[in-house]
Amino acid sequence: MTANTKPIAANKEKRIPVGSETYNRITEALYEEAMWLDEMRLEEWGDFLAPDLIYRAPLRLSRQRDEQAASIVHTMNHYDEDYGTLMGRIARLTQTKSAWAEDPPSRTRHFVSNILVRETGKTDEYAVKSNGLLTRNRFEEDHMQVISYVRNDILRDVNGSLKLAKREIVFDMAVLGTQNLSIFL
Amino acid sequence: MLKTLPKSPKHKSPVLPDGTSIDDLINVDMREVQLRVMADKDLYDLEMEKIFSKTWVLLGHESEIPNEFDYMVREMGADQVIVTRGKGDEVNVLLNVCPHRGMRVCTAEAGNKRTHKCIYHGWAFKTNGDFLGSPVAKEQMHGDMRPKSELGLTKANVKVYGGLIFANFDADGQTFEEYLGDMKWYYDMLFCRTDNGLEALGPPQRFIINANWKAASEQAAADGYHTITLHQWLGEFGGFNEGDIEASMMGVEVTSRTGHALRCQPVANKFKKLAAGFDSMTLEEKLELLPPPGVTKEMLPQLKNHLDPEQLALLVDQPPQVGGMFPNILIAFIYAPQPDGTILGLTSLHSYTPRGPDKLEFTNWIFAEKDAPQEMKDRIRKVTTGMLGTSGMIEQDDSDTWPHMTRNAKGPMGKNVTLKYQAINSLPRPKDWPGPAEAYDGFTKDDTQWNWWLRWYDMMTAE
Ligand code: FES
Ligand SMILES: [Fe+2]
Repeated sequence: MTANTKPIAANKEKRIPVGSETYNRITEALYEEAMWLDEMRLEEWGDFLAPDLIYRAPLRLSRQRDEQAASIVHTMNHYDEDYGTLMGRIARLTQTKSAWAEDPPSRTRHFVSNILVRETGKTDEYAVKSNGLLTRNRFEEDHMQVISYVRNDILRDVNGSLKLAKREIVFDMAVLGTQNLSIFL
Repeated sequence: MLKTLPKSPKHKSPVLPDGTSIDDLINVDMREVQLRVMADKDLYDLEMEKIFSKTWVLLGHESEIPNEFDYMVREMGADQVIVTRGKGDEVNVLLNVCPHRGMRVCTAEAGNKRTHKCIYHGWAFKTNGDFLGSPVAKEQMHGDMRPKSELGLTKANVKVYGGLIFANFDADGQTFEEYLGDMKWYYDMLFCRTDNGLEALGPPQRFIINANWKAASEQAAADGYHTITLHQWLGEFGGFNEGDIEASMMGVEVTSRTGHALRCQPVANKFKKLAAGFDSMTLEEKLELLPPPGVTKEMLPQLKNHLDPEQLALLVDQPPQVGGMFPNILIAFIYAPQPDGTILGLTSLHSYTPRGPDKLEFTNWIFAEKDAPQEMKDRIRKVTTGMLGTSGMIEQDDSDTWPHMTRNAKGPMGKNVTLKYQAINSLPRPKDWPGPAEAYDGFTKDDTQWNWWLRWYDMMTAE
């Protein structure tokens, strides 16, 4: 690929090319994460989280086109977590007998796509943007709850394995069409 | 105790299209309500008219629109309204319906605008709703059949209480003071206790639950009982109340025919280790040890300026921590002591907005005292988000429960099952209880929720 056929943004932001070895490793890590979440292997998901993780899902507001920056509200969140609080959530779901919001559990499918990876300036960290689509079904519901979002992650290479060091989940719904977030994204 | 309540002279029980009257749905003597009320479309329409067009409705907090011309769009029952800030303290609540042809005037959820112009044909309105004019002035496209004064946006009555914005579309209805009634004394302890009051830490979380608005709202009228089972994980987890959920069932429940309710829980009982020796301490010592959530040591002297001595004593020993306000508000001011000794709170208000007979919008605001340091506000926001609202570890179990009730309310057999409120407190009013309203001592019972239904009944059968 010659320089002038590359997407313009890729030149500017030190994109790690799609299909490169690093890109493939990161893609595989995100696919594997989706599998752990869908198969309720939450302890394995917990191992993927870095101890300094910040995990947030800001609110969205419908704002005029010239005020789009204010459409993502960082002062209030649907999820406002760190490593310790996520471990608490995993413990509630896996170690107590009465986490009713997920008992019987939701059947979920996490679809991950449009993965773009950037260098961050730190040799062991990558900025990863991905689109997410979650389908969720509970009980005998005859429809799927569908939740779409973009994730802005920092993935860190720790002794050859990738860990999630930061995640921001930006939903596309201003009023979330689900009864709760007892599932992870 | 079971008492038969006199029907008001204005009592008139409306009849639904299938011949069922409100009096058939609620059995006042037996304290039962037919499950049908949790899904019925005709009843829902009647509620929008008889309750949400008449009562005061919570729309937000003035700190959400701090600057002149700020606005936000909110749901008021099944209607949508624009809440605007005018000069200084002026807050307006306007129906978001263009008087020309019914278009929404504000299509964004929030912003700052000096005038609100409808994008359809361009009629323009001031922040107080007054009609300014229509485009192409020389053609007078708004005609001359109605004066300009009749072409403004429909205005609601507004009351700002402790910074909370309430509105009411019934011009001849209850005053806000009548609405709060004898429960105001208790609400003041939460909302009006410091010099600068509360602040909403941001816009509210909003999400949809496929349940009737009453499934959530009757629980907000201080259903303490469900905590033992639905939130049993708290005990299994150990951290909460030192693992002793049943201890947190004790307290005094205050309520009245207003439909409002609060659970006052003794802090010494709830935090046995932390509050060792609490009973023999002075008021000042107690306040230092367990200040109300979000109130810093520096702010403690302010409490005396706003609360009378009885209120202050109760706030220190047995503060209201959870409850509701009729028709659809949940209040949580739950003490959350941290390992480092700070007392944070799960401090939040929810409104359960009707969105149809089988759908509600859960709106969740998180609050902190305005004068608290930013670091404390951030921690309050984080612990509250962790336990309440969209992802709240406690409330995710509630929001997964209510849809089942609404589903069951649709069955030809299920709809005739009754909701039962027969756990009646028979203890005498606690001795020397300092506050007004009904006060029920001991283990949490159904009296508060029954008052919520009686208020519902009063409004549904009012002429
Ligand atoms: S509908 Fe608003 S100007 Fe016509
Ligand atoms: Fe609950």
